[in-house]
Amino acid sequence: MAGSPAIRFRQASVVYPSGVRGLDRLDLDIPHGDLVVIVGLSGAGKSTMLRAVNGLVTITGGDVEVEGRSVRSSRGKALRELRAGAGMIFQDYRIVRRLSVLQNVLVGRVARVPTWRQLIGMWPKEDVELAFDSLDRVGLVDRAYVKAGQLSGGQQQRVGIARALAQKPSVILADEPVASLDPVTSRRVMEDLRRINQDLGITTLVNLHFLDLAKEYAERIIGLSQGRLVFDGAGGDVTEGDFAEIYGRHMTADDVLEAQVAL
Amino acid sequence: MSPRPEAPARTRRHLLTAAAVLFVLGLTVWSANGIGVSLVELFSNLGRMGRLIDDSFPPAWSFWPRLIKPLLETLQIAIIGTIFGSILALPLAILAARTVSPSRPLYWLNRNIMNVLRTMPDLFWAMLFASAVGFGPFAGALALTVFTVAVVSKLTSESIESIDMKLTEAVRASGGNWLETVFFSVLPQALPQYVSYVLYALELNVRASTVLGLVGAGGIGMVLNTQRTTFQYDRVTMIVLFVFLVVMLIEQLSAAARRRLV
Repeated sequence: MAGSPAIRFRQASVVYPSGVRGLDRLDLDIPHGDLVVIVGLSGAGKSTMLRAVNGLVTITGGDVEVEGRSVRSSRGKALRELRAGAGMIFQDYRIVRRLSVLQNVLVGRVARVPTWRQLIGMWPKEDVELAFDSLDRVGLVDRAYVKAGQLSGGQQQRVGIARALAQKPSVILADEPVASLDPVTSRRVMEDLRRINQDLGITTLVNLHFLDLAKEYAERIIGLSQGRLVFDGAGGDVTEGDFAEIYGRHMTADDVLEAQVAL
Repeated sequence: MSPRPEAPARTRRHLLTAAAVLFVLGLTVWSANGIGVSLVELFSNLGRMGRLIDDSFPPAWSFWPRLIKPLLETLQIAIIGTIFGSILALPLAILAARTVSPSRPLYWLNRNIMNVLRTMPDLFWAMLFASAVGFGPFAGALALTVFTVAVVSKLTSESIESIDMKLTEAVRASGGNWLETVFFSVLPQALPQYVSYVLYALELNVRASTVLGLVGAGGIGMVLNTQRTTFQYDRVTMIVLFVFLVVMLIEQLSAAARRRLV
């Protein structure tokens, strides 16, 4: 659907079985090709927002549409199709340390290759090619046959990015992708994400804790507080006052990556 | 110095300890009376025991060539039981792991069947299968298969429950179905543990298979039973020594392999 945005939140709400409200009637359109950074305190609903896009959490009110397709009404095969179109990157990488780097990236092809071929390790040639291309984009081709557990944290995160890329996704969801990394590696990973967003035009949603990183890389910043949208503006325009509003307090050194470098 | 908390009252704990000691003492007296433990009988029969030892030594060294075939059969019973049982145990273990099992009723059913299987000792299964498929090594192998399924699936399902479930979310986020999630996140994490349990089952099975013959399920146990009932104690000693050596050897090898795994 050419007319619809990449992602549309329509009064989207998520209430967990425990009664905790993760997302509260969120209304938001994200156009194709945008790089959007979501900021907010932990527990503000950033993770929930990303997981509502690929149905890893159950939407309990309203709906989310990805390329015009309803997430809430997708089940089984349709839901797996939808997830295959959205690559996810995690704070703790979530790669299988015992498998090789290449095998980890091939996991990005699970929805596209018959299960029996995967179980006997007979991946189609074009899928292996695609996995290598993805590894090339994050500069890890030479580590393809190394066990993933032997890589450094930054490299493991880039394997995670390559896995998401191998899905040939229309959307990338990055959940605190740099929270476990040192400042220098954090920048390297953010550069990778920006380059992929610009080169391939993949709509990218990134949860970030560090405000200066958010300002530097975001075309648009979304602020969440208690599951509600409290800020929506261009990355360059954000002021300290805006952050104070999102966080309910003034900025401290903990909120800025540069200050961490100085420490 | 800040004030210290008051020490908890001790009387309650002392009373509980005393009650526990009395209970164990009572149990001992009850059991000893029941089976007729008698020191008099023990010492008055020492002479008979001496004669038994006399008859048993020296071992009938020349008897060993006739032991090789039944001992190999014993090992074959253990190997078949371990392999068949372990193959069956893996899918059952996945279904019996609460965190991975695709359906609650299936998990519950599986868990309870496994518990019942495990309650029965291996000799019981051997007798059962000996009656069902006839006396011989095949009955022994079947018995050990059931025994292995019970042991390996229980231990493996517990290992699977303790794996990092966050990894399964990554496979699901890529659009993976249940089987793909199991294959790419559950198995890679649980496989080393599983292999270690298979080796452990092999150790148990080699030991168990030596006595299966006592109930007619093949192997060296059958030879042992024949020699014992015809009072050839020097040959019995030889058998016991031989079995001891082989079982020790296999346990050492298997334990060494397991240490390298985990």
